[in-house]
Amino acid sequence: MRLALFVTCLVDLMRPSIGFASLRLLESAGCEVVVPPGQTCCGQPAWSAGNRRIARDLARQAIAELEDYDYVVIPSGSCTDQVRQVYPELLADEPPWALRAQVLAARCYELSQFLTEVLGVDDLPGAFSGSVTYHDSCKGLRGLGIKQQPRDLLAKVPGLSLVEMPECEECCGFGGAFALRFGDVSTAIVDRKCESIAAAGADAVVGGDLGCLLNIEGRLRRRGDLATRVLHLAEVLAGPEGQ
Amino acid sequence: MKAAARSQAMFFQARAGRQVRNKGLQKALAKARPLFVGKRAKGIAGLAGDGLDFAELRSACEAIRRRVVDDLDVWLEIFEARARATGAEVLWARDGEEICSHVLDIARRNGVTKVVKSKSMLSEEAGLNEALSAAGIQPVETDLGEYIVQLAGEAPSHIIAPAVHKSMAEVEALFAEHHGRPRQERTSADIPLMAREARAVLRQHFLTAEMGISGANFLIAESGSAALVTNEGNGRMVTTLPRVHVVITGIEKIVPTLDDFATLMRLLPRSATGQGISNYVSLLTGTRAAGETEGPEKTVFILVDNGRAALAGSDFSDMLRCIRCGACMNHCPVYFSLGGHAYGWVYPGPMGSVLTPLYTGIENALDLPHASTGCNQCGSVCPVNIPLPRLMHRLRELQNERGLRPWRERIALRAWGWLAGRPALYRRVSGRAARYLRWLADDSGRIRVFGLAPGWSAGRDLAAPPGKTFHELYAARKRA
Repeated sequence: MRLALFVTCLVDLMRPSIGFASLRLLESAGCEVVVPPGQTCCGQPAWSAGNRRIARDLARQAIAELEDYDYVVIPSGSCTDQVRQVYPELLADEPPWALRAQVLAARCYELSQFLTEVLGVDDLPGAFSGSVTYHDSCKGLRGLGIKQQPRDLLAKVPGLSLVEMPECEECCGFGGAFALRFGDVSTAIVDRKCESIAAAGADAVVGGDLGCLLNIEGRLRRRGDLATRVLHLAEVLAGPEGQ
Repeated sequence: MKAAARSQAMFFQARAGRQVRNKGLQKALAKARPLFVGKRAKGIAGLAGDGLDFAELRSACEAIRRRVVDDLDVWLEIFEARARATGAEVLWARDGEEICSHVLDIARRNGVTKVVKSKSMLSEEAGLNEALSAAGIQPVETDLGEYIVQLAGEAPSHIIAPAVHKSMAEVEALFAEHHGRPRQERTSADIPLMAREARAVLRQHFLTAEMGISGANFLIAESGSAALVTNEGNGRMVTTLPRVHVVITGIEKIVPTLDDFATLMRLLPRSATGQGISNYVSLLTGTRAAGETEGPEKTVFILVDNGRAALAGSDFSDMLRCIRCGACMNHCPVYFSLGGHAYGWVYPGPMGSVLTPLYTGIENALDLPHASTGCNQCGSVCPVNIPLPRLMHRLRELQNERGLRPWRERIALRAWGWLAGRPALYRRVSGRAARYLRWLADDSGRIRVFGLAPGWSAGRDLAAPPGKTFHELYAARKRA
């Protein structure tokens, strides 16, 4: 099985370790993983801002870059949602592209979905000593139905115990450009998320979308919580590099 | 359109900032949010006890409302004919101004000096209270929450809990001032006492008003009736005690049959307050007939367009299904950080972010469609399955298509899009950006001030990246 890893622009720039963790996870499960070199951004920022033209251009670029593989795996619910739900709609009136978008959408999986639904992995390279609490990101949860998959995977990590936080399905207040446009509103929302995380009292908060994680981590640190680790699911499942 | 002139929706960003820092408001909202969310969750869970399934009911409710919206003109004609047959008068209003002129005309013809009102959002759209007062007619809101905001000279901040932003102490101060008595120390145990006080004042108004104005939750086409769903009982007083009853409601509020109404009632109170059924469900049909002892002598329906007809058949026709339960705002992280007044017009929360631009002009509410994290908590609780985030998104596209976005944003987006479309160049620039971000960080590896995202970084310490992008590191590994 030959699959493409789309690392996302945010992981590329802000936390490459998530890309490498995804790579290790998929390779240790026996996949041949390619990182297509022409990938940049899925185009969600343009789509979300309401600029259809730029969003379409970037969708076509991503489709051309990613369509020659058995699967495409993305360590982000948000970007996967863009490829799976938005691309076909975005290109619906451009016949050759519409079909290509649909084919790609059907082959594209968010990381935890791919590991559970396609691969059905049992052995994970990672280990974690302590408790974690899981933040359900909005696009993953309400867009793609990702709820149990990451929890099933976390349950397989030796030494890890899962503590649910109150209101784990509540938005963290990131929302891409929303956090830039309405910084103070976003802060009020993420404050509630920080309180939920504190109530869970876990050693780490884990999520599947780096956007949410940067937002949550940024606020936790500013509030003076320097202890709670903020980790991407891939980082927990794959364990630290070199192990 | 008068409504547009009254809208403050252009000032969302400034208002939002003020509301976020308003401690009293934040306290009131923090108290209300878990109640709304918890009650609805319990109400929806309770469906199983009646052998009902939320997803199935929601599809049924959606289908009923779709059927109406798809053939709105036909249903309106049926309703009009049936309502007339029961003795009611049916008037049409194109906009808020026409609502006001109809109401003033009816008041003049019937010698009205005082109007008691049960909640009508349409009268808010029209600014009817101001128009009545200007004509020397006293409007009295009788829904407790509406009464409170009327005393305060404010607009409702929530469609089903208009005074949710007010604390008990604020209400006590208003009552003392307007009821002409000294202020007292109040605890939550005194709330029934305060409600009784309001009731005593309102009762006098019920008995002396010549006209009652209400909204309608639904208009039943087959019977020509208005359906009213309330909890306080004031709705019954308003619609039966005064000589004249005026129902002001939007043209989209039709449901075909009483059976359809019963189906919608499975979800409306549960979505709004978590109740299996509201305290009062009234079906008002026609006028007082010969030999009957209660009911108005005259019933007038004012059916209002105010932007609705234009939505039928458009990209936004889904919005016409809305049954005004308030679940979208009750589950909105943005609404509960700001309260309703930040939205600047009649409807707050996600429904307002769609309706305000559509009814008052897209160019008059540029921030609202962006005032969403896209979390879709609203869409997932909507009892008639309105894809609210998708509608907000479509409004964002229209803003772009009409060149209404600020030029800085347009240039930034275009530059970024151009760059993201050139992978080799993008690699070089993102590498530079990674090093720049690394350089911004302090000794602990955090970026405390970030000029490119001032609003966001004002409340956060961003963890700095390692200084090389994934693709740079990956390429280096491949070479090794």
